[in-house]
Order: sequence, then structure tokens, then C-alpha cells
Amino acid sequence: MKTFWKNGDAFVWLTGGALAMALLMVTGLVLLILVNGLGFFWPRTMYAFTLKDGRTVVGQITMRETVPQPDAAEGTPERHRIQIRQGNRDLYGMDFLWVDEDAIVSRAAPVELAVIERREWGNFHGRVEALREGAGGRRVEGEEAWLTLQAALPAAHALNAQILDVERNQIGAINAAQERIRLQVKKLARQGVTTGAAVERLESELTELQADYGLKRKLLATLREGSGTVIELSAAGDRRAELALGDVVRAYRPNAMGAGAKARFYASKLWEFVADDPRESNTEGGVFPAIFGTVMMVLIMSVIVTPLGVVAAFYLREYAKQGPMVSAVRIAVNNLAGVPSIVFGVFGVGFFIYVVGGAIDRTFFAEALPTPTFGTGGILWASLTLALLTVPVVIVATEEGLAAIPQGAREASLALGATKFETTWRVVLPAVMPSILTGLILAMARAAGEVAPLMITGVVKLAPTLPLDGQWPFVHLERKFMHLGFHIYDVGFQSPNVDAARPMVFMTAILLLLIVLFLNLAAILIRGKLRKKYAVTAL
Amino acid sequence: MVQQPTGGPARPARLRGFALSSRLKRRLVADGVARRVVTLGGMIIIGSILSILIVIIGQVYPLFAPPSVEPAVNVTLASGPPLRVGIDEYQTVAYRVGAEGVSFHALKDGAPLPLGGELALGDARVTCVSQGGDDQFALGLSDGRVLPVAVHFDVEHVAGQREVTPQLRVRDPVLVYEHGAAVRLLAYAVTPAGPVMATVTGADRIVLTAVEETTSLMDETTSTTVQYAVPDGISGEITALAMDQRGDDLFVGTAAGAVWRLDLRDKADVQVGGSPVQAASAPGAGISALQFLIGDRTLVVGDSGGGVSTWQMLRAGADARHLVRVNTFAPHAGRIVAIQASRRDKGFLALDDRGVIHLNYGTTGKTLLTLPPVADAAALAYAPKADGILAVGAQGGLQTWALKNRHPEITLKSLFGKIWYEGYDAPAYVWQSTGGSDDFEAKFSLTPLLYGTLKGTLYALLFAVPLALLGALYASQFMHPNLRQRVKPVVEIMAALPSVVLGFIAGLWLAPNMEKIVPGIFLMPFVMAGCILAALVLWRRCPRAVRHWVKPGYEFMLLIPVVLGGGWLAIQLGAGVEHVFLQGDYRHWLLSVLGLTFDQRNSLVVGFAMGFAVVPIIFTIAEDSLSSVPQHLRAASLALGATPWQTAIRVVLPTASPGIFSAVMIGLGRAVGETMIVLMATGNTPVMDLSIFSGFRAMSANIAVELPEAPDGGTLFRVLFVAALLLFMLTFIMNTAAELIRLRLRKRYRYL
Repeated sequence: MKTFWKNGDAFVWLTGGALAMALLMVTGLVLLILVNGLGFFWPRTMYAFTLKDGRTVVGQITMRETVPQPDAAEGTPERHRIQIRQGNRDLYGMDFLWVDEDAIVSRAAPVELAVIERREWGNFHGRVEALREGAGGRRVEGEEAWLTLQAALPAAHALNAQILDVERNQIGAINAAQERIRLQVKKLARQGVTTGAAVERLESELTELQADYGLKRKLLATLREGSGTVIELSAAGDRRAELALGDVVRAYRPNAMGAGAKARFYASKLWEFVADDPRESNTEGGVFPAIFGTVMMVLIMSVIVTPLGVVAAFYLREYAKQGPMVSAVRIAVNNLAGVPSIVFGVFGVGFFIYVVGGAIDRTFFAEALPTPTFGTGGILWASLTLALLTVPVVIVATEEGLAAIPQGAREASLALGATKFETTWRVVLPAVMPSILTGLILAMARAAGEVAPLMITGVVKLAPTLPLDGQWPFVHLERKFMHLGFHIYDVGFQSPNVDAARPMVFMTAILLLLIVLFLNLAAILIRGKLRKKYAVTAL
Repeated sequence: MVQQPTGGPARPARLRGFALSSRLKRRLVADGVARRVVTLGGMIIIGSILSILIVIIGQVYPLFAPPSVEPAVNVTLASGPPLRVGIDEYQTVAYRVGAEGVSFHALKDGAPLPLGGELALGDARVTCVSQGGDDQFALGLSDGRVLPVAVHFDVEHVAGQREVTPQLRVRDPVLVYEHGAAVRLLAYAVTPAGPVMATVTGADRIVLTAVEETTSLMDETTSTTVQYAVPDGISGEITALAMDQRGDDLFVGTAAGAVWRLDLRDKADVQVGGSPVQAASAPGAGISALQFLIGDRTLVVGDSGGGVSTWQMLRAGADARHLVRVNTFAPHAGRIVAIQASRRDKGFLALDDRGVIHLNYGTTGKTLLTLPPVADAAALAYAPKADGILAVGAQGGLQTWALKNRHPEITLKSLFGKIWYEGYDAPAYVWQSTGGSDDFEAKFSLTPLLYGTLKGTLYALLFAVPLALLGALYASQFMHPNLRQRVKPVVEIMAALPSVVLGFIAGLWLAPNMEKIVPGIFLMPFVMAGCILAALVLWRRCPRAVRHWVKPGYEFMLLIPVVLGGGWLAIQLGAGVEHVFLQGDYRHWLLSVLGLTFDQRNSLVVGFAMGFAVVPIIFTIAEDSLSSVPQHLRAASLALGATPWQTAIRVVLPTASPGIFSAVMIGLGRAVGETMIVLMATGNTPVMDLSIFSGFRAMSANIAVELPEAPDGGTLFRVLFVAALLLFMLTFIMNTAAELIRLRLRKRYRYL
């Protein structure tokens, strides 16, 4: 026994256990997210349960757990309960229901049970009884109703897309133009001009727009009426409901679907998730605006951070006189990378938003005051804040690259008569490019995953418009934006229906993880190649 | 990728004649421009990165900037000694109550303005005025009547000019002393049930009079005057009265220096509440002024010896309440003549008979400012926006000051020390930035937040440091290099996990699931260690053939199932332990035996989740420094017969200790500033206890939650900047120290 401890193998194994634990934690976390998120879009079997008290419950099983029985005698068999997603929030008041397995008399999976995704109130679970076409149209029942519904859906979706286009693009353009004219009038009034040709011209333009607006509203109203087709539905517990065709996003019968149909359905849901707007306070639909906001913010940040970081690194390594001052600066820059991100956010609020943004507002947007234009959080300020946060990363990576370039390369160039600038531009910069790229990718990865500073510099839970659209001047740097990370926080913690939203949050987390991990892997690969190359060069 | 410089001059340019010399010039100019641009750009960029500190300090500085006053108006009014003065919110009109009545004066020249109301005093003179109550007060007259009045300022904007028109509204007089004795002291309050007044005439007996308004069915309001009996238990000459606007209590100051309390809540049965408190600063001094701070919960007492102190009602038991001293302020040289409270904050002004005015802040107990003496000042007013001071002398001299005092409630003590707030039993550290009511006082103690930050850091490090360091030791010393190359990127990926994902998993998945297996979690390290040791023993017993199956340095692969099994076993054992030793429910056991409450989102969850963020940082840096210990040291130790473990512990570890130290420091810095995890995985309540089963509110999360709501330049905004500054300093200093120590220690070990 003494040798057991003495030769130290026991301790070695214990340290190994610590490492194993750490690795298991990472893999476990990633697996957990994948398992919880990826299964969500797969259509699950719809069951119709008959309970002991005579009730029927229709829904999908989402969870199963043991019922704690603290007072039970030894040897009591374990009891289980299941969580059923029963849908029909408008009829039953809640999405989920816990049922003891003991209380279930029978369960069946009839083929005709349908899931209808609606634009409002979440999913409907039940049967399609009939389909009634508006204004003297026919009424079909049973299986024919289901087939007619499937056939009519594409047209309904096209109509919806048209409504969205009118609402968002056409009316949006009119609103933007009206706002611009209003501000111009206000600007003129500030200059003391309240009458005259300019004002009249603006006012006549405004009247024109107003008329145009009226027309669009009328068009919208006709579109909204749609075909007038209504679906008659029945749900468990002898509930009846009617639903306009325009409110249906999808209708499917999970029990009738084969593996191929399910896979196609899965793919379409996945596409909706990445390409559509969110619905139902972000708990359904897609996360496209959040993806867009994240990517655009990261891109703006990259455009800012690259020249800044590279110039600073070149100064520190190539131009500044090396001495205690420069090493102090280097330590400070290094340590800045360890300063909490929220502190950068606070700086962004205190300096970019209130000082710089306030000054811009007073100079260029005085007519819009007191409504701030740049004096409030927006994508530009968020990107600038993150650029500041990540600039040490780029500086450090670039400096490392510069230090790795053999001095001989520089000396050779200088000896051939090139000036220092030419050496830097033609010899050093191309050689250090991969390092700059590594730094930039690491900076992008850090920026994509960072949320805390964004929360205070311009991220919102739901942005009505993207920071890039068809309205002049097309890029709206002052607009607030959505972000995947903040989406996770908001839907997971601020949403009224956390249970229903949880799978969405897991999916968003997968997406964010994918982006961040992809960027990090790219950086690791580039760095690895780089090391190999210089290992050879140094010889 | 290294491009060879192509083209370019192969020999000195000057040999090639004039054309080339101009080209050379161009090149030299380009070189010089580039040098300047890079140098300037680099310095600007580095400067602006470092300016973060300056900007944050710039936002914090106004919090601690001392208040300042500047004399504004100095005019002389043609009138006698004032009893009460006041000023409008724009500081353009002042009112003054003297023996002959009320008068308004334009501040720019002291000229009298029309009253805008009828003040029919008859032959009577004003003998006293009630204090407090904003611009609603009452005049005590020489014929035994009390005349409630209200001063109102109409503000109109005419052609871009602001015009303030004062107006005096006079209510029906109340006859208190039918025999016509002059009212000597008067306290007046407009309670929800109607006006109440307490008066004292020469005979030192308090008379309590209430005007009770009843509305008949016809919507006619009839008011009746009722006088209530006041018990005659107060000894000593009465020198000051103060009644709160709820009409709950009447405080009576006497020449003996005592403050008595009369409980008015049941007016039909007015009682002397408890025994009097000796409130004067020195024996022999009498109470000379009583005044409430805004909200009417704190009583300011001034005495003839120049002492000023604040008092609060403390609830001791169901119905027993008594006055307790909260703060004592810098003493005056002379008798306190008047005290005026701010209508904005808990500040007040105190004037003594030598004309010296002190600006005090009730909550912090700090005297913010001492004004230069004003000869014969007899009455003073605090401008409604707390941005000006008005003093009027007995000879009619009127002086105003413009006051700059934007964050009076903030001192180092109120940010970090214990403060006795209204409604609290004792001084406490409180963070409460927003409240429901208008007279809510924001409480800005950063101590609970700092405590929360450190608590979260402590638990995170307790979990992360052993795991990361042991793991790094194994990876660098005992693991096969090929395997290590695969493991390191995995750990680096772990460092890249966005903290919002960690926080979300911790808050929504880990917290509810961990709650079920808490006893198992505490058993886990021991059970796992036991399993690993058992596995080692079994491994030793295995036939040599089986052992050859695993290459040296790959034993690690065996450990993964062992650790998994250990975790599972620990959870099973935990359930058993809970059943047998912890009465079947550990939460109940914690509460009844240890007195600890269990929050679902607690420090255990945070420590674990933050461990995810900290482990990879510590691991990477520690592993790097352990790996870079010179190979010859290890070889020498092994050659001398030391086991690999002895070599690792006695030779490698001490040599790499600077790197390990800096790894821990940098991990610490990350944990201190982590925001999303603590925001999502704790309940964010600013409590101060060290229990692992309760949550906390960290500074970083607090900033993230409250900064979007804080108005620019307000006190909360700036206090959040103080928190940011603290975080900045904590991490920056920690990281710099780690770096310096590392450099120094590295120098020491360089020659090994």
C-alpha cells in the first residue's frame, strides 16, 4: 500500500481525472445543446390520450420524469409523469400539461391528427373538419378538406408575402419620405423660414404622399380580406374553432408522415429558422434579423478594427523605439484584453453615444431633437465598442507575426536599397498577412459571442427594420439591431412562455456556437499552418 | 507567402541621373510620410485605447466634485425682521413673511410685487409662522387666530420670455384663542383629513386644533373647527414645534434640550409618546429649531448651543416607537435660528445667529458646505430645485446664492460604507436604485455588489483552479504528446464558448437539474477520486498483456469512463445520503439544521458555469508554462531516481510557478468581469451572505441591467460608472501585477 502512494501513480491518475472531467464538461455541454436543439424541428408523433377522469388530451410528449415520492415506503415502484405539449393556447390557456402515467387509460396515434402552425397563438392540435370558401364558395368536409387546404396554402402564402411587401416596403417608404419632409420643414422653421416656395413645395409633396398612403391602406385592406377561406377545426375536449386560411403557416399530419416526408419537413423548418422573421414575441418563426444584425455588426467592427490594430502593431514593433516605454504600452495593451467587456460597453455609452453621438445630433440632426438620432444606442456604436474591445487581440496577433518574421528578410530588403516603407509594404506586410488574418478572425469570434456590452449600446429584442434596407441611404448605422446572443438572453429569460421558447433558444445557441466555433477553428488552422511555415523559415 | 521585393533599384539611385533622383526623392518622401502616419496613427490609437480610463474617470469625477456657491443677488428690502422667506423655482421672485404680513419681491431689484390675494389682518400682527410644508403654511396672529395661506407661482411663457407671477391664496382663519392671546409657536399640517395645527401661547400649553371638512350630499363642504385636549406632561419651556404632514406625530422641543413626542394618530386620545429624548448637543442648551426632511420621516434638531442632528422614529415592537439619533453634523458657533429642508433630496440648510449657513446632507451626515457669514440673517430658504439659497436679514438685507450641488447623496461613505436610511433599523449596506414612490430615496451602496462579484469569483475559482491546474499538470507532464495535440484545441474551443450560451445553460438547464442532485454534487469529487484510485488498483492487477494494450501516456483514455461512472455513482449515493442523513429532503435539512435558504439559481450553479469560462484560460496558460520548463531539468531529476510524479511536483511545478500564478490571476480577472453568466445564473438580489446556496448581484450584471435605464448624467448613471471603474481597476491592476511578477520570476529562473 505504501508503494501505491509513494510511486505517485495515484496522483498522476487523479490529475488525469481532472483533465478528463474538464473535457467531459465541454463535450457534455455541446452534446446537451445539440440534443436539445436539433430534435425540435423533427415532427413528433401526436398522441390522443384518454385519461381516467374521462378527459382526452391531444399532443406530443416533450418530457418524462419520475414523480418524487418522499413519503413512500421502501420498494414502492417508481411512478412517472409526462409533459404533453397540447398546443391550442387560445382554447386551453397553456401550452404544456403534466400528466401522471397512472392516470392514462389509453393512448392512440390516429393518422388524421393535424398540427396547424398559426401566425398567432402558437400551434393548433386537432382535426380539420371542413374548409369553407368565402363569398358563396363551396364547403368541403373530411379528407377532401385536408387536401383542399394543402392545395390552397401556397396561394395563401403568396398573398401573405404580398401583404408584407406592401406593409413593410411600400408603406415603409412612404413613412420614411413623410418623416424626411417633416424634418425638412422643421429645419426650415429653425432657420426662420415658415412660408415661401420651399415650404409650399414640401407641403404639396406631403399631401401627395398622404394620398398615396391612403391608396396603399386601401390595397392592404383588400389584400387582408384575402380569399375569405375559413378552416373549421375541432380539438380535444369537444372544442371547435375556426381559422382564416391567411393565418395558417403550415398544416401537417405527423402521424401520417414517413421518414422522407419528415426529413423534408425538418429541412423546411430549418430554412424557416434561418431565413424568416420571428413571430409570437420571438418564440416562433426564425431568427433572420438576429443573424443579419450579428453578421453586419461583426463586419462593421472588422472594417474598423483591422486598420487600427495593424497600424498600432506596426508602430509598436517596426517604428517605435524599443524601450521601457514601449514595453509598458505593450503590457497595458495586453492587459486591456483582460478588462471586462462590460467596461468597454460603459465606455461606449459614456463616450460614443452621449459625447460623440450627442455632438453629431446637435450638429447634423438638430431638427429631429429631442428625439436622438445618433445620441442613442445603434449598430455603429455597438460595432465601435466591440472594435475597441477586440483591438488588443489584433494588435497582439499582428505583433506576434511581426516578431516571427526573420530579421534577415528585412535586412535583405534594406540592403538592396529599399526604404523602410518599401520594406514594410512589400516584405513585412505580405509576410505578416496570415497573422493579421488570425487576429481578425479571433476578434470576429470574440465579437460574435459577446453580449454584455451590446446590451447597453444598441441591441434590442425586436428591431422593426434591418440596418440595411431599400430606403435611402440604404445603410442605417444609427438603427438598433438584433443579435443572436442577446436573442438567447431575451427569449430564454424575458419571454413569457419559457417552456415553449426553450427549444428555440437551444437552436439559436447552436447557431451562435457554430459561428463562433467555425471562426475559432479557422483561426487555429491558420495559426497552425503559420507556425509550420516559420518553423521551416527559421532554419 | 513572403514576397521577394521585385524590381527596385539595384544600385544607388544617384548614379542614374536626374530622372531617377526625382524618383528617389519621391520614395524618400513616401517613406517619411509613412513613418509619420504610422507613428502618429499608432500613438493616437494606443492613446485612445488607454483613454478609456480617462473617459470613465471623467464621468465619475462630478460625483465627488465639492458643491460650490456663488453669490447671485444682493438687494435690500425696506422692511422689518422676517419670520419666513421663500423663493420660486426659477429664482426670480421671493416672498417674505414679517410682522405686518406677506410681501412679494422681484429678486432683480427687491421691488415689491402685488400680492394677488387679500390678506385681511385687521389690527393684528403676525407673531409666528409655521415651518416646513413647502409653500403652504400658516400665520399665527397676535389676536389668537391662525391664518392658513399658500403661496403659488404662476409661470407663463410670453414671447419666449418667462414670467413668474406670485399669488397669495388665503384660507379661512381659525380662531384658536378666544381670549385673544398672541400665538407664540405654531405647527401646521394639511393632512388627508383636513388641516391640523398645534399652537403655543405664552402659557406654554399646547392647543391642538383641527379643521374637519365634511362634504354633504349636496356637495357643499362645511368645515368645523375642533379642539382636542393635549395631556399636560411636558416639562420645561416649549421652544419649537414640528408636525409631520401625515399628522401622525407632533414633536415638541423645550428649553431644557429635550424633544417630546405627542402621538396624534388618535386625536381624541392624544398621548405623550414614550419618554423625551435629550437631543441638545450640550447640557444647558435648549432646542431652538425643529424641521422635517422631505418625506417627513427624519427630524432635524437644532439647538441653542449650535448642535445639529437628525433623528428617526424607530419601531421597537408592535406599537412602541421612539426617536433615535441618526447623524450629528458639524456644530455651529451660535444658536441655530432656522433650518430649511430641500424639496429634492435629503439635504437641508441650517442658519445660526451669527449668520453662518451650513449645507448638510441628512442621509450621509456630511456637512457639504459652509457659507460666509451674512450679517443679522434671520430667515432662509432653499430653492425648490435645490440649486439656490436665499437668506434675509433682520434689517431687510437679501442675499441669494447660486448653488451647484448635483450629487449630494454620494460620498465615499455612502458608496462603500454603512448608511442609516429612513425606514431601516440600523445602518446597512443597501443597493436599491429605483423605487415606487416620488419621495423614494435611491440607495447606492456598491458594497453588496462588490461582495457579490467577489463571491461569484471565489466559487468559480474554487471549482476552476484545482481542475485546471491538475489538468494542465497531467497534460504537460504525463500525457502522450500526440494526444496532447488533440486535447489542447478542445480546451481552446472551450475558451471560445460564448458566455451567453453558458449563462443560458446554467440558468435554464443546470439550475433546475442541479437542484435535484445537490448532495450528489458535494460527494462527486470524493467519489470520483475514489473511483479513479480503485481503477488504478484494478489496472495494476490486470495481466501484463492487457496493460500493454494501452501505450504509456494514453492511460487518460481509460479515465474517461471512470470519471463518467464516478459521476453517476456520486449522484446515486447522493440520493441515498439525502434519504438517510438529510431527512429525505436536503433543502428542508439546510433550512432547519444550518438555517440556510436554498435558491434555485445559486452560487453553486454560477461557480460551475463560470468554471467553464475560467478553466480553459487557466489551463492554457498554466500548460504553456509547465511545458516550457527546460527538458534537462526533468531529465536530471529522473536520472537521479525521482519518480515522474516527484519530478513534476518538486522540479517542474516550482520552476513553472510564475506562469501558474499569472494563469490564476488572469482567470481571476475573467471571473471578476464575467457578466452574462452571473446575470443569467443568479437571482440578482443584492444580498450579502457567503452561503453557496444563495444568489448574489454582481457589479457587472448590475451595470448591464441598470445602465440602459439610467438617464445621462444622473446620479445612478455616474454610480454605475464608478462600478465600471472599479471593475477596470480590479482587472487591470490584477493583470498588470500578474504580468510583472511573471516577468520578474522568469528572470530569476532564466539561468536554470
